[in-house]
Amino acid sequence: MFSEALKTQRRVWTALFMREMQTRWGRRNLGFAWLFAEPLVFAFPVLAIWSVIRAPFEHGVPVTTFVWSGYMPLLIFRHVTGRALYVVRNNVALLYHWRITPFDIFVGCCGLEAVGNMASVAFSFGVLYFLGAILWPHDLPEMFLGYFYMTWWSFDVAMIVAALSERFELVEHIWMVVSYIYMIISGFMFMAVWLPVPLREVALTVDIPLVIYESVRGGLFGDRIMTFPNLPYVTIVLAVLTLVGLWLMRNVRTYVEVT
Amino acid sequence: MIVAEGVCKDYHSETRGHWRRVLSDVSLTVKPGERVALLGRNGAGKSTLIRLIAGIELPTRGTITRTMSVSWPVGLEGGVGGSMTGHDNIRFMARIYDKRYEDLLAYVEDFAQLGRFLSEPVRTYSTGMRARLNFALSFAIDFDCYLIDEIIAAGDARFQRRSHEEVFEKRTDRSMILASHIPDIVKQYCSRALVLHHGRAKMFDDLDLAADIYNDL
Repeated sequence: MFSEALKTQRRVWTALFMREMQTRWGRRNLGFAWLFAEPLVFAFPVLAIWSVIRAPFEHGVPVTTFVWSGYMPLLIFRHVTGRALYVVRNNVALLYHWRITPFDIFVGCCGLEAVGNMASVAFSFGVLYFLGAILWPHDLPEMFLGYFYMTWWSFDVAMIVAALSERFELVEHIWMVVSYIYMIISGFMFMAVWLPVPLREVALTVDIPLVIYESVRGGLFGDRIMTFPNLPYVTIVLAVLTLVGLWLMRNVRTYVEVT
Repeated sequence: MIVAEGVCKDYHSETRGHWRRVLSDVSLTVKPGERVALLGRNGAGKSTLIRLIAGIELPTRGTITRTMSVSWPVGLEGGVGGSMTGHDNIRFMARIYDKRYEDLLAYVEDFAQLGRFLSEPVRTYSTGMRARLNFALSFAIDFDCYLIDEIIAAGDARFQRRSHEEVFEKRTDRSMILASHIPDIVKQYCSRALVLHHGRAKMFDDLDLAADIYNDL
């Protein structure tokens, strides 16, 4: 009975992933390859500019590697959360098939982004390392674990935004502001060690993306600079957020008008 | 069997900021093999009731229980995806409903007669072609109960004849709920009619009486 349900779930998600790829990239376009090319298209100009205007090392860390470690997590967050707003409403025709739940629609869009972005992190890492733009990480698995947590974090935020936006229109406006503030507070451009100690204590408790950034950078830089990763704490917070997201998703159907 | 009991549905009105009641205390039982019409004017709540029965939306109050497999609302809209090709849609449905792609394809090719259009995106189809694809897919998947939203009037004569054959000669054991605002179609296809007006509903076993009442509304 349970394995039957799992099989159905897998079939539904496969179908939605395939559909998502077809509707998004079409058959004749770059297709699947774009998923991998896109971060590089974004990353190259940014890396180029930064490496020209900055010294090769700042605060004891190599600048291009630091920028890559700031930019990729931000891309993951922006991509995974990017279509979360009204995702169910925008794909409401799929609810015609009762096996497809609002959560499935969300997974079909944002989950595909999450998987694709994890793959593209690995790909862009390979390309940039090969080109000599970034250093070999101190601890490769730790770095990728950091990226995994960043993806999980983005998935949680996306799920909560997706569910709440169907309920309150205010979410749309708040989300615009939040996604800008996120750029500043996420750790995209700074590390915990640069903060004054009292502020750092607070930030490492409430600024979840910063703590995840510390994992990514801890894996990358090792002893070059002091980092404050705290994966047990982040695991608990993200697990709670996942449960909150699932709970909010549970009755989205009540709020969606299928026309 | 499908049993709807005391079903109410409210929608939030975007302009006036309050709730408006679309269905009010509607009850309905559909047994295997039964063909029930939902007869009402535009906006009477027919499509809403169909969507609730399909499980797409949830009732505000009341319960709907289904002990047989129910199709999606087969109509001019929904069901199939516009930017996907006909083939992609067939593949999508095969995955969702756990059928073999080849079986669905063979049936759809024969029934819908879309030819080379199956390789084109569905958004380029005419309304009649989309209806044919939608109908063909729902027949190919084989449900116990079909929910049909004003569609039999769509399509050309050949399509209507094929649909009629499919519904009345081959699948006499299947149930059907047909939403329509045309009494003649209801009389032709159904054995009972639920007349809907301003969200309230009344069941009639006598279709002529139902048609008269509906015409006087």
